[in-house]
Amino acid sequence: MNSAVFAPWEDPQAKPLIQFQNVSKRFGDFTAIDTLSLDIFEREFFALLGPSGCGKTTMMRMLAGFETPTEGHILLGGQDIDPIPPNKRAVNMMFQSYALFPHLSVWENIAFGLRRDNMPKPDLTARVEEMLRLTRLEQFARRKPHQISGGQRQRVALARSLAKAPKLLLLDEPLGALDKKLRQDTQFELMDIQEKTGTTFVIVTHDQEEAMTVASRVAVMDQGKLMQVATPDRIYENPNSVYVADFIGDVNIISGRATSSAEETYSIEWAEGQAPLTATSATAFSAGQSCHLAIRPEKVTISSERPADAANAIQGKVHDIAYLGNLSTYHVELPDGTIIKAQTANTRRISRRSFTWEDPVWLSWTATAAVLLAA
Amino acid sequence: MTIKTLTLTAVIATGVSAAYADEVRVYNWSDYIDEELLSKFEEETGLTLVYDVFDSNEVLETKMLAGGSGYDVVVPTGTFLQRQIQAGAFQKLDAEKLSNAGNLWDVIQDRTAGYDPDNAYSINYMWGTTGLGVNVGKVREILGDDVQLNSMDLVLKPENMEKLAACGVHFLDAPTEIFPMVLQYLGEDPDSHDTDVIGKTEEVLAAVRPHIQKFHSSEYINALANGDICVAVGWSGDILQARDRAAEADNGVEIEYHPFAEGSLMWFDQMAIPVDAPNPEGAHKFLNFILDANNMAAASNYVYYANGNKASQEFLEEDVIGDPAIYPDDATMENLYITTPYPAKTQRVVTRLWTKIKSGT
Amino acid sequence: MRRAILIAVPYVWLLALFLVPFFIVLKISLSDIALAIPPYTPTLDLSQGWAGVRDFFGQLDFENFVWLTEDDLYWKAYLSSVKIALISTVLTLMVGYPIAYGMARAPEEWRPTLMMLVILPFWTSFLIRVYAWMGILSNEGYLNQFLLWTGLISTPLTILNTQTAVYIGIVYTYLPFMILPIYAALERLDGSLIEAAEDLGCSRLQAFWLVTVPLSRPGIIAGCFLVMIPVIGEFVIPSLLGGSGTLMIGKVLWEEFFSNRDWPVASAVAVVLLLILVVPIVLFQRNQQKQTEAGQ
Repeated sequence: MNSAVFAPWEDPQAKPLIQFQNVSKRFGDFTAIDTLSLDIFEREFFALLGPSGCGKTTMMRMLAGFETPTEGHILLGGQDIDPIPPNKRAVNMMFQSYALFPHLSVWENIAFGLRRDNMPKPDLTARVEEMLRLTRLEQFARRKPHQISGGQRQRVALARSLAKAPKLLLLDEPLGALDKKLRQDTQFELMDIQEKTGTTFVIVTHDQEEAMTVASRVAVMDQGKLMQVATPDRIYENPNSVYVADFIGDVNIISGRATSSAEETYSIEWAEGQAPLTATSATAFSAGQSCHLAIRPEKVTISSERPADAANAIQGKVHDIAYLGNLSTYHVELPDGTIIKAQTANTRRISRRSFTWEDPVWLSWTATAAVLLAA
Repeated sequence: MTIKTLTLTAVIATGVSAAYADEVRVYNWSDYIDEELLSKFEEETGLTLVYDVFDSNEVLETKMLAGGSGYDVVVPTGTFLQRQIQAGAFQKLDAEKLSNAGNLWDVIQDRTAGYDPDNAYSINYMWGTTGLGVNVGKVREILGDDVQLNSMDLVLKPENMEKLAACGVHFLDAPTEIFPMVLQYLGEDPDSHDTDVIGKTEEVLAAVRPHIQKFHSSEYINALANGDICVAVGWSGDILQARDRAAEADNGVEIEYHPFAEGSLMWFDQMAIPVDAPNPEGAHKFLNFILDANNMAAASNYVYYANGNKASQEFLEEDVIGDPAIYPDDATMENLYITTPYPAKTQRVVTRLWTKIKSGT
Repeated sequence: MRRAILIAVPYVWLLALFLVPFFIVLKISLSDIALAIPPYTPTLDLSQGWAGVRDFFGQLDFENFVWLTEDDLYWKAYLSSVKIALISTVLTLMVGYPIAYGMARAPEEWRPTLMMLVILPFWTSFLIRVYAWMGILSNEGYLNQFLLWTGLISTPLTILNTQTAVYIGIVYTYLPFMILPIYAALERLDGSLIEAAEDLGCSRLQAFWLVTVPLSRPGIIAGCFLVMIPVIGEFVIPSLLGGSGTLMIGKVLWEEFFSNRDWPVASAVAVVLLLILVVPIVLFQRNQQKQTEAGQ
């Protein structure tokens, strides 16, 4: 991933390719998008992530031109595109259903958009061949969509939407119809193609893993609002709300009250008779402010003895074990009934597993492992 | 049927005839009888009357020629009757069972004998003429007040037809009616079976053809009555019906019927008994019932057609017997002619010629 | 055994209701006209035994078919029927397609109602509906009265008993047969295909021609055949609404049968008509089959 060097969103001089300016979209009484502002930069692979009905598809359809904002404006390269119909926008879309034209061959599907631009024949042929090569579809060019596999159809849809070299490519759940194995392969292929073509991609997905894998930045949406827009690692490591923390990956949430104990360090009272937990946070909390502590299961260490130097340690007993092959997730029940999940890599064979049901265990994590969130 | 001959076939035969024995099935033209007569017949004879109707000779003929129609009495027109007799479709009448046969009118009998020699197979029910149905107001408006409403010139002279075309002219879709009419107009024998002579009609008809809106044998009744068309070459009774409908509707349309001054074709609807009639006994009873002077008069008074029953004339109402459109005066009677059916080969030529005239092909 | 019976049912049905009548018609077409009951000869006389059967077949010939080629009336009538059928099929398509399109684009909850409205005319006798058109189209009819009232025309238009009336009647009568298959094709059409076309640079109209029309083609073809095949043999509409100049094979058939009483020639006309119809019927079958295969 090139996000380490590619980060135009951190450059105040950079001009965004797409700007949502206080955009709202209402369907009757229902507000799909609620006064939303967002910048997306050139060459970005931007993911809109959220549960169904969160408004991510509406965002995409507004970009494509199938919907117009009720309020606010959308700018593409500085130009207000609200009045421009879909067929006049330098934006192409890859549909969730692929929407391949069943009466046309793969070749003609890819050429469809180019023909509308009256591209000269040699150029058109060259472009289609190029797209076929890019998506490794050369030998399927003469087939009809119903004669090829799901994965191949997905690639035709991609080739077709890329053929016109749009400034912006929209991908609506592009991998939703593929099985898991194929999906993972295709994710990398997508990233590869995005890098090769240098096109700006906006992808809509409800699959957080997919978003994390492909995107340079992820926008987590809920009920028509942006919850957090950040790089995948920041979204994962530093969620700005319980919602985001909970939506992305697995997380343990412990509620309590924070009190500052040192600079950017807080101790959290979370249960009667239990030692307070320690966590660092750049965000300031006032004394006694109620808060949530979010800890990823893989950051919780499980051991039979109390670790000597752990900043946070709690005793409990194994309630349940989920075996995932490469990983095992232990559900540990604390004295007050709270369940904390701890994940360990299965570096040994299962028969040599250290803990089993009802074993008393210690859970521990460092002060920086958890994220402190305001309630 | 005696018990002695009680074989299997006889059982079936008796079974069938028992079912038909108290039932008489009559197949007549639509709107062609006073329905009170039907119940009167049932009361008098105790038989059940099944009364069906048709509206074209062709339909009736097809049933007759296919055989097994199941009817006891049918009513073909003279020319059709003649051919069907030749095909063996009818049985001879039993004069002993027709006690009222003496009521028949010799004037008509003489003419129907042309179709049915000695009137052995049929009795006359109604008769009429083919002539002109005219919307008096509109025709006078177009052709002037002194136009002759009873002349073939009205529909066979192109200059008249040209003017009438917009208003609408219908001809019967029946070559056996129109060709004799045109032959009469040309001074030829209207009953000619010579295809060369018949061919002479083409020129006359082709000249007026573009101005004829439609050839049809029943639509003109409504079309005349509604004022949709101005002139129709049609059957007397139908046009009189149109006249009455227009009068009833009180729509300002005034229809008149005129037999042609040049001479009109006379036609006869004859009652006959199919050779395979299930109940010939009942059929004769029905014919005899119709032959009754009072009953026949009731029918004519109802449908406004002339009948072939001399004795019934004293019971006819004045607007029937006194209407020259129904009972023509002697001079017109003199002028009326009849035709006989074409042989099959001639019929084919005639039909072909007719199609050519109608469609230009 | 049960399987055999199940398979036998449709075949017996076809045999009894299609094949047997067809062979009877074919047999009559090979006979000669006669003034008798029935009006043709020979008739099979089984009491004569084998000799009777041989005698029967010996008398059959193709004379009537030869006759059909000798008079230009017949091929002109066939041609004119095909022409009228083609024109009215195109007209029906032009009227039916927008209706089907509108139905398929209508909100889901309206569609059953719209569908019922299309089928509704079938609840009334076809003959009565054609007669109703006579009332509408005649010189003193509702249409002329309305047009006179609006002042658009000053003298009544002559529509009834013209070719125009025939086309109106055919389009009206056969419209549901056009609408239903097209509607079925359009309703299945994935709306995202239209969006995809627009997204790739099509205007609304281009998207319609390049995507909607090709994808509804099976429906269009089915509809066209369903209209064209019966219209070629149509008799009632031209005879009630048409003028005398409307030459159609159905009318010629009628005349052979009723006016000429020539059952053999009438049967020959019918056999040839059937052969003419076999071509579009086979094409139609192939279209249906292709559609079924594509659907799998």
